Amino acid sequence: MAVKVSMTVNGKAVSHEVEERTLLVNYIRETLKLTGTHVGCDTAQCGACTVHMNGKAIKSCNIVAMQAEGANITTIEGVAKADGTLHPMQQAFKEHHGLQCGFCTPGMVMSAIDLVKNFPNPTEAQIREQLEGNLCRCTGYHNIVKAIKAASADKNVTVVGG
Amino acid sequence: MSHDAFHGRLEDDRMVTGSGTYTLDWDFPDTAHAWFVRADRAHAEIVSIDASAALAHPGVIAVLTGADLEAAGFKSLPVITMPLKPDAMKPLMPFRPCLATGKVRLAGEAVACVIAETQRIAMDASELVVVEYNELQPVVDSLDALKPGAPQLHDDVPGNLYWDYEDGDRAGTDALFARAAKIVKHDLYNHRVVGHPMEPRCCTGVYDAAKDQYFLYSPTQGPRMQASMVAKVLDVPTDKVDVVAKDTGGGFGIRSAPYPEYCVTLLASKKLGRPVRWNGTRSEVFLTDNQARDFICHGELALDDKGKFLAMRFFIVANNGAYLAPTGLLAQTRSVTSCITGVYDVPVSHARIQLVATNTAQVSAYRGAGRPIMSMLLECLVERAAIDLNMDVVEIRRKNLIRNDQYPYKLVNGTTYDCGDFEGVLDDALKAADWNGFDKRRAESARRGKLRGRALSTYIESTAAGGIPDDAQLLFEADGTISLKSSSHSHGQGHETSFAQVVAGVLGVPMNIVKLRTGEAGMRVGGGGTGGSRSMVSFGSSYLLGAREVVKKGREFAAKELEASPDDIEFDHGEYSIKGTDRRISLMDLAKKYKGSAGEPHPLNSVGSGKWGMTFPNGAHIAEVEIDAETGVTEIVSYIAVDDIGNVITHALVEGQMQGGLTQGAGQILGEHAIYDRDTGQLLTGSFMDYPMPRAGMVAGLEVLDHPVPTKLNPLGAKGVGEAGCTGALPTLANAIVDALRPVGVTHFDMPATPQRVWQAIQAAKAGNPRALQTYTLEYA
Repeated sequence: MAVKVSMTVNGKAVSHEVEERTLLVNYIRETLKLTGTHVGCDTAQCGACTVHMNGKAIKSCNIVAMQAEGANITTIEGVAKADGTLHPMQQAFKEHHGLQCGFCTPGMVMSAIDLVKNFPNPTEAQIREQLEGNLCRCTGYHNIVKAIKAASADKNVTVVGG
Repeated sequence: MSHDAFHGRLEDDRMVTGSGTYTLDWDFPDTAHAWFVRADRAHAEIVSIDASAALAHPGVIAVLTGADLEAAGFKSLPVITMPLKPDAMKPLMPFRPCLATGKVRLAGEAVACVIAETQRIAMDASELVVVEYNELQPVVDSLDALKPGAPQLHDDVPGNLYWDYEDGDRAGTDALFARAAKIVKHDLYNHRVVGHPMEPRCCTGVYDAAKDQYFLYSPTQGPRMQASMVAKVLDVPTDKVDVVAKDTGGGFGIRSAPYPEYCVTLLASKKLGRPVRWNGTRSEVFLTDNQARDFICHGELALDDKGKFLAMRFFIVANNGAYLAPTGLLAQTRSVTSCITGVYDVPVSHARIQLVATNTAQVSAYRGAGRPIMSMLLECLVERAAIDLNMDVVEIRRKNLIRNDQYPYKLVNGTTYDCGDFEGVLDDALKAADWNGFDKRRAESARRGKLRGRALSTYIESTAAGGIPDDAQLLFEADGTISLKSSSHSHGQGHETSFAQVVAGVLGVPMNIVKLRTGEAGMRVGGGGTGGSRSMVSFGSSYLLGAREVVKKGREFAAKELEASPDDIEFDHGEYSIKGTDRRISLMDLAKKYKGSAGEPHPLNSVGSGKWGMTFPNGAHIAEVEIDAETGVTEIVSYIAVDDIGNVITHALVEGQMQGGLTQGAGQILGEHAIYDRDTGQLLTGSFMDYPMPRAGMVAGLEVLDHPVPTKLNPLGAKGVGEAGCTGALPTLANAIVDALRPVGVTHFDMPATPQRVWQAIQAAKAGNPRALQTYTLEYA
């Protein structure tokens, strides 16, 4: 059965007919062609598909698109400034070598921005605990933790897009 | 480049903004979607396959089975072989089909491929394919499989024995064992894991009928290496296949080879005249990616009465799974024994390794590829010797290290170490870890009710040698950039940055005008792929030579431009000048001016090439762990890694490789475990819910230090870093855990150290069984 979904993605209103069972991540990747959001597992464990829904990090593989009806969604493509300036969290991942193959990175960055909203000046232990829902196989997490710690000091770290 | 100077990699901007191009990010018009019907049992004869209901399902285009592949002339998925001694047993290499024919040999093996207008339709219709099986008893344990009367997987592999491999000098070794004052023996099980790059296996197959050319878009560690293997399956010349990739989401050895599904989508594309895409899932990664480890190991060490090592011998049974993976021979034998006696001065050794067929996923190279098997066995054996002989764990090692005046040092199996400073590395590690302060820290942990343990490992490994010349092309482009082309492919290593750094360093140009291009259609460049920690050693060296060639060629043009003799021209920081004058021209200005005739290659284009030899990264790692005896939870409280990886090109990238490798090793020691049910052959740990991947909380307090001893085997002096962390981490953490458990009576513990297993071991020891968590014992034979 097809159903119409409407939401705001990265500041733009979007509306499409999709199959009812379409996951939000599939809507984002396949219908909207925003391929920065990745799928790394099928059990909502890896966090590669993390996006923001109404300002909170969610795993977009774990809800159907219909559940995001009317929501405000931000994906990794909507995090940097319109002029291309990297978001402080993206900049910190880059500067601290917090990524290798880059496949988990979009989800990591989305989770990390939410993390510093909830823990404005996080300790290393808090960062490690809060990252539980995101898997990275390359870095061993060490530089990701450093990047998040460094970015948390930036006053604009919770602001996305713009 | 110092650590302070690092501001990110050239590839980072696209990756942090979600603009990378991973395999499923390629988008082709008119794409059809494949989904695979997989065996729901581990061992069975296929009686019939009825796809009629699936074909009748709206939106289904075709269903392919093994019969279609046979009709198309598909060959076996290939296995990489190696030269053998004339009297050695030849490995048995059974046919590995892309879709099962006659029999299924592991749960998850692909039996049919449904192709439909959308992925969801293909998934739905795959449930309508009816496969009738005649079920057979599976065998998943390698010792069970070797028993008389065991279920047989392949008609042409009698006794389920793919290969009985020997390395070294059996008679010479036995002679020294006969004279030994003391013989120490140790058994361990290096358990099976799944490699898990974060990008699941997937592909799009595109056949271009006009060119009769196959284009495979897939995650890859080396496009030409993968193309050559795909071509073997399709039975076409290698040039007829292009593997195309931009970003690859992790590899670790598992993405070096092609997979059955890749070849099936190419055939499907040819039959349908449309691109055919397969969106693999993590469940399929668990079931049918090449898996890793699963070695039952027995080691023996002969010593004289002063604790000096005389000889070593090993008997190892490797569970290779239902088929031989492409690297299933090499990684399971020669890669295990390449550094057989480690960093120790041991005159003679012998190893026998049996490769066994079972109803489990095929096993391949995975971070360390064989070397972590030997490093773990060797270091656990040396630890056992120290305990049995009541020797200090540092002194037994120090006493037996190869000394700096012994290079080149030749092992009995022919491996020759060119250089090292094993004692210097060891001393650095002892100092950094405050080795002598441990008793105080152990007492402090005890006050908090924790068992503290520590261990030291002195490891060495070999990086993959150049079997063929690795070419590095440097091409001057019309837009003022320099393209680099080679057959390796980064799957996280940061080649775009590190190769650009090598080239920019020689040419004196900004790094951002140097563009690495590796996985493009039509690219034909000689060399191997990324694997065995070889890319900087081999391709880095070739780029260095290529860049020097550019400088040499440019000198002729500079002489012409500056109206001087080439002998009077010097090159420095990107500029040619006449010695002792201020007359100069930059290399890039020269390249713009002397670009040759239209349609011809730029005259400054150069190729560097070489067959770079094996190098030997080594190190000393020290870990301390704390165990909560009440819950069995193990925590890594400190980890010091001092490594000699030769010259370091980009410090941040090297450190990242070490951290990642160490954590991957820690993942195996603390929890990762692919467990098959012995009765049914089903994978019991088939999702991230059941298989504990390392998460951010696992390893803190990690310190990575360099102790470089540059090799002369390549012009960079680099030794390779990709796998060293993992090779060092397995024995270090395993021994630290046993050290922590020894005071409560545990004398032997096979990994992984999950809370449940650790708690069980402690309870069993209290009840009088100190070796309850030992899985296997073998006798040297």
